[in-house]
Amino acid sequence: MLDRGAMGALGLAAMLCLAASGARAFDDAQYPNLKGQWIGVRGTAGGGQPSFDPIKRWGTTQDAPLTGEYEALFKANLVDQREGGQGTNATSTCLAPGMPMVMNAHSPMEIIILPEVTYIRVDHIRDTHRRIFTDGRDWPAEIEPSFDGYSIGQWIDTKGDGRYDLLEVETRGFKGPRSYDASGLPLHRDNKSVFKERIYLDRANPNLFHDDVTVIDDGLTRPWTVHKTYRRNTNPRPIWVEYVCAEGQQLVHIGNEGYMLSADGYLMPTRKNQAPPDLKYFKQTQK
Amino acid sequence: MLYRNAIGAVSLGLALCAPIAGARALDESKYPDFAGQWKRPPGIGNQFDTSKGQGRAQQVPLTPEYQAVFEAGLADQALGGQGNDPTYTCIPDGMPRVMNVIFPMEIIVTPNTTYMLIEYLTQQRRIYTDGRTLPEDFEPSFTGYSIGKWIDADANRRYQTLEVETRLLKGPRTYDPSGAPLHPDNQSVVQERIYLDKANHDILHDDITTVDHALTRPWTVNKRYVRVPNPIWVESSCSEGNPHVRIDGQSYMMSADGHLMPAKKGQKAPDLRYFNEPKK
Repeated sequence: MLDRGAMGALGLAAMLCLAASGARAFDDAQYPNLKGQWIGVRGTAGGGQPSFDPIKRWGTTQDAPLTGEYEALFKANLVDQREGGQGTNATSTCLAPGMPMVMNAHSPMEIIILPEVTYIRVDHIRDTHRRIFTDGRDWPAEIEPSFDGYSIGQWIDTKGDGRYDLLEVETRGFKGPRSYDASGLPLHRDNKSVFKERIYLDRANPNLFHDDVTVIDDGLTRPWTVHKTYRRNTNPRPIWVEYVCAEGQQLVHIGNEGYMLSADGYLMPTRKNQAPPDLKYFKQTQK
Repeated sequence: MLYRNAIGAVSLGLALCAPIAGARALDESKYPDFAGQWKRPPGIGNQFDTSKGQGRAQQVPLTPEYQAVFEAGLADQALGGQGNDPTYTCIPDGMPRVMNVIFPMEIIVTPNTTYMLIEYLTQQRRIYTDGRTLPEDFEPSFTGYSIGKWIDADANRRYQTLEVETRLLKGPRTYDPSGAPLHPDNQSVVQERIYLDKANHDILHDDITTVDHALTRPWTVNKRYVRVPNPIWVESSCSEGNPHVRIDGQSYMMSADGHLMPAKKGQKAPDLRYFNEPKK
């Protein structure tokens, strides 16, 4: 009788417990604390635009293991950029950078963890709502290609202490054009890239997190792995500045040519002796 | 003795329960279930007041000065121009137009911030619910600075309504593509009450009141959104294939074969004064 009373009381406690935690309670202590504002850490060789491998300067010094064909494409792009063009850097038209360039974190990054989805938000160019699905789903039979791709993740408890400390992510289903950084280092145009990431907090400094990114792409001779690090802004209420690429955009693309807008609003060349756009659809009023 | 054992058992049970709730546990059941994908109801276009038609039918309570600006914009649009609508160059809608939700919206509720991710132009709103006040100095933005407060109107320890006030905006902004303008002083204040429909939890309401110097009075509209089960999120990149080009304040179009062409009948070609004259 005594045991039955105690059992009943335990049952009541369990019910109270369920009501207190709620059927939809989410224990975020189970996940690493990735809250706040994250800023990409650049290596000492860094300078200019953020590069894909942050410990190396952008451009040819990235030592990307490109195939011969893509190395030639990259070099032609650098020549075009030197002459004032934009080469294969598609983001000059405010196109979304997509994967993996988005992880260069040109602007600060925010990570929101929910049990079923981890969101990565980067304000640069405003085209990034990376959703990493962690609800156990499988790859869909058909993926609508996108610049950010379709990401499936899995939380791992590597230490077996009941807390997740590693997010493994695989991303597929792309469209392009995409490059690794603004130097125009290209990904293959077949858009069959696959990215594998390992995202985790630094063990010694919880205000650093790491993203080990491995790229498998037909424009590479072998998988390319880089180690990216981000530093947390310790301000508990960081300032998020809206970044609108199209606002004040000075580059104008007409056909396959890039032009600039002058300070007084007129179209002007970006390269020496660049021909003006063909105005064949306008009635000729001058002469 | 029996009674003491039972109390002890309840205490033990509750103690075991504590780690489950966790120090940082988010009790989602305290908040209304805003999860999922939200779309405009069927038949609703890109108008701000969804109970009325588009354009003049919106009957925006504009001051005479801004009614004239609106009419001039409509006249330009009738000729093929873009009028007052700034979004053709991929400038974001901003507040309150972003809540027209042209492409689907996702709402993420966390204790300190509620996020609204809107696929169209990839806009994002952060609504701070951590008790902060409006900052004295903040960079204006198209979506503004939003402070929210959760309300438990039924006093049942569950929030039903998110009240939001948004300020610190920048422009140009319009209510919809017809170009009904907000005042360029950008001192608009947008107040919202966001809540689930009591009869149907797959319908979300947003009662929006706009206070703006281009209006003769605060303007309130009730917007509704419908939850989509098993959503697919389709990326929207405005710049991709955008056929509009703006040069020297004029809008032009790109032809299918990649050449510049007029958007309006009789429109002059852009001035090419900075190019070398190849002929003569």
